[in-house]
Amino acid sequence: MDVNFRKIDVDQYDEDVLLDSELYEADPRDPAQVLDDAKQKATAVRSSLSKGDIVGALTLVLTDTPYGPNVEEAKNLNLQTLVTILNSTKATEIPGVVRSLSQDAQDTLMKYLYKGMGLPGWGDVSGSVLLGWHEKLTEVAGTGCIVRAMTDRRLV
Amino acid sequence: MSNVLRPYLAAVRSTLTAALTLQDFSSQIVERHNKPEVEVGGSKEVLLQPLTISRNENERVLIEASVNSIRLSIKIKQADEIERILCHGFTRFMMQRAESFIVLRRKPMKGYDISFLITNNHTDTMLKHKIVDFIIQFMEEVDKEISEMKLSLNARARVVAESYLLAFNS
Repeated sequence: MDVNFRKIDVDQYDEDVLLDSELYEADPRDPAQVLDDAKQKATAVRSSLSKGDIVGALTLVLTDTPYGPNVEEAKNLNLQTLVTILNSTKATEIPGVVRSLSQDAQDTLMKYLYKGMGLPGWGDVSGSVLLGWHEKLTEVAGTGCIVRAMTDRRLV
Repeated sequence: MSNVLRPYLAAVRSTLTAALTLQDFSSQIVERHNKPEVEVGGSKEVLLQPLTISRNENERVLIEASVNSIRLSIKIKQADEIERILCHGFTRFMMQRAESFIVLRRKPMKGYDISFLITNNHTDTMLKHKIVDFIIQFMEEVDKEISEMKLSLNARARVVAESYLLAFNS
């Protein structure tokens, strides 16, 4: 007798099953526009980096970050932009920079730090740079910042 | 504690402290059951975002949190074949005696060497900061332990080889 029907997950056919899309509000922009925005931000960040304005560059890259499905390319681009900022900041400047960010920006930065450390291939991301930023950010924003990064469903 | 290891352990410590906010939570599917949700993985709303902390590709910690339990998996540094064997033997020895360590999991997660499962019962009966201290101390000790074992293994191999080859010398 065929017993495979016992392995069917019947709960997924429940009418009040929880979907991914119900856990967070979707991004109102469409994927192509998100990618455009990310590209524009990358150029803007490069120009403010050349002026030495690290806080401005970070605030720019941490606002309206791409999240949700279908925007992988924009997510990667934004991470790359962020990593160039992180790499070009001197270790002594980090506490001041972190302190002048808004709370939302701090939370988003924390999400990106964990994302950077979780990447399998690494590329140009250096573990010690990310860990240094993580330490300084935790000193300023506390463990609450980590909890908010952990509980937020809007994955960067 | 060595200076290179410090930021890594500090990051693990703060993340673990943040993740260890657990509460009693009964199963949503089976009545009168109470299971660690991170192991069941049945419902999305009680699982939190898994976080990875890594020093380099070969040394990382994965922290998976949920409403009533967290799972912490460690990948221990293994530079060569001897360290791999020693690490395997060491973690196997510990995991066979998992109930003596209370929070140790009997099997590691895939891709990691050793896993811990901390539930709300553990945080109720034990002090939270002591659990964090235990994990951090374990991570400090395990590297030291393995490199010490490697040194004594090499020293012993040298002595054995010398005394064996002495027979051909005379």
